[in-house]
Amino acid sequence: MNIALAILWKDLVTEWRARERVIAMLLFSILTAVIFYFALPDQRPETLRTLTPGLLWTAYLFAAILGLNRSFALELENEALSGLALAPGGRGWIFLGKAAANFILLSLVQALTALAFALFYGVDFSSSALNLAAVIMLATLGICSVGTLLAAMAVRTRLREVLLPILLLPALVPVLSGAVHGTLSVMAGEGIPFSSVQLLIVIDGIYLVISFLGFEYILDE
Amino acid sequence: MTPMTKPFSQTKDDSAHTTNGGLSPLEQQATRWRQPFGWLLVVITLVYAWAVFQAPLDHTQGVIQKILYVHPPLAYGAYLGFVITAIGGLLYLWRGREDCDRLAISGAEVGVLFCTLMLVTGPIWARGTWGRWWSWDPRLTVTLLLWFVYLAYLLLRSFSGPGPRTARFAAIYGVIGLVLIPLNYYVIEIFDNRSMHPDNLERGSLGDGMGWPFLLGNLCLGFAFIYLVLLRWEVEARRVFQQRQEALEEPDT
Amino acid sequence: MTSPLLRLKDIEKAYGPITALRNISLDLDHGETISLLGPNGAGKSTLLRIVAGLAAPTRGTLEIQGTAHDRRAIGYLGHATLLYPELTARENLIFAARLHGVPKPARRADQLLEEEDLSPVAQRRAGGFSRGMAQRLAIARARVHKPSLLLLDEPFTGLDVPAISRLSQRLIELRNAGQSWLLVTHEVERAAMLADTALIVLRGQVAERLTGGELTPQNLSEIYAKALDLQS
Repeated sequence: MNIALAILWKDLVTEWRARERVIAMLLFSILTAVIFYFALPDQRPETLRTLTPGLLWTAYLFAAILGLNRSFALELENEALSGLALAPGGRGWIFLGKAAANFILLSLVQALTALAFALFYGVDFSSSALNLAAVIMLATLGICSVGTLLAAMAVRTRLREVLLPILLLPALVPVLSGAVHGTLSVMAGEGIPFSSVQLLIVIDGIYLVISFLGFEYILDE
Repeated sequence: MTPMTKPFSQTKDDSAHTTNGGLSPLEQQATRWRQPFGWLLVVITLVYAWAVFQAPLDHTQGVIQKILYVHPPLAYGAYLGFVITAIGGLLYLWRGREDCDRLAISGAEVGVLFCTLMLVTGPIWARGTWGRWWSWDPRLTVTLLLWFVYLAYLLLRSFSGPGPRTARFAAIYGVIGLVLIPLNYYVIEIFDNRSMHPDNLERGSLGDGMGWPFLLGNLCLGFAFIYLVLLRWEVEARRVFQQRQEALEEPDT
Repeated sequence: MTSPLLRLKDIEKAYGPITALRNISLDLDHGETISLLGPNGAGKSTLLRIVAGLAAPTRGTLEIQGTAHDRRAIGYLGHATLLYPELTARENLIFAARLHGVPKPARRADQLLEEEDLSPVAQRRAGGFSRGMAQRLAIARARVHKPSLLLLDEPFTGLDVPAISRLSQRLIELRNAGQSWLLVTHEVERAAMLADTALIVLRGQVAERLTGGELTPQNLSEIYAKALDLQS
């Protein structure tokens, strides 16, 4: 547990000093929001209401891939990842530390991106902000758990950053589904649908367990 | 958390079996079983082809209905291949047995083959019967997603070079892939109910004289699947063994 | 009879078809220092990574003090420094101390900075350090949990002359204080000067072993040249 906290602290301090990861992710996702203006057929309220959740989550996913890759690219500098692997005890705690840092940074980016969507497309999140935050949190937990595991694998292959989306996106289809349906209902003022929450909790549980246990095997040569 | 000491996990490789062309005892067993399967396969394929040929034409769908004798049986192979991959991977992680890792490779490759054939034959039939190539039918969607997962699996393997690390990466990804099958069905059941597949193909929807060619199809493709998995397994074992022999002869490379 | 600090028995390591190490057996006692000498690609670094617990051997056993491998007993300095450029020297050490479960990480970090003569630059970020300073910090990092065995992989690479002599001096100090180590190098002089025993590693195998009085730079250099000749 101490290992996880130490890594979380290290990642947040590093990010605070460099500020490169959050800024890159944020610029990217807001840029995506702007690009969508050109991709949407029109600006009518019905169009926006049905399409915004999907667009929002597409932006989140791409930003997540960017951040997850960077998270482990940092550990390859000076072979710092070997330094983590030298720590005694289970490697699952290393996973938890990295995943927690990714979760916090991605959540920050997501909140600001949601604001950008609200601003650009006149979507009103204020009445459903808490519900929306709950859906986003549940889905982001799933993204960051399996994403941290797969990023740690992908950056050490020959394809590096390119491989992560190919590995990660198929695994995130259920998360995306639950998140988009949840977001649709929340934005329509219907509250969080039980089916979405149930699905996301099941996936989070499964992915957290697989990633925690799987990390034991991926740091060695 | 108390620091715990983990004993070294070692891989038990099989390069010691020099007398058997590099095959582990399990792989030798598999090779022995492959032969009778091969002969059985030849016989059944002939009977199967004849049965499909002489089966009555469906009066509404015409000749395109004959894809039915191929398409559903492919599914068993596709899904079973991925189950084999996950189990082989887990056994590799747990026991460190390289032969299980090689079994995982063959499961994934043969599974991808069956999955691809299923994704090709499905739309052809759908075009003739439902009127359009692609329908986002739940089973079709899940199969497509699965196909992507296993292509990613093969890509992961080919881009991280030889060695135990690649095998461990692949094993973990194989487990994620297997978990995704029920998860995706669950997703579609909740959000998306647009199934066009008949629920009970085996009973009822087949006309007179179509039942037993269909049964033969299951048998034939089932045997073909087993045969191909065993063959691919043996090939992989021999390939690894040969590479080791060559590397031994030229230690400077 | 007490068990040695490190015991390797018939270690073999294969990467797919390529065998990097074979039949490596070796005992290292408490307080003993061993250098592994060999050309590039002989498998020295692989061996060190196996001892560090960063790679699993394909075959063979590895014991530390008579029991299974224990990462707590090992301090490792590889080709890279394992440091985070965005963190200060002190933060790097505190982080490493927390990773290894060292009690009072800040106090341990200050102590190490003092020992390695880095206290004046404790608050500077490691990213701005010269190669020599970074290497001193890396050694402090490797020693953060007071490991019984220190593993050093070509620690002199990239250092300038004053930094090299300073590091040699430091290693001798540590040895005199009873620190055991395994040093990987391709330089004959240092292999002979810095260790009690030198092993020549060629093609993944231990080719020669020199120890005690017979381990002089001249002796080692002659035997090493002969071994290299035999190989080619």
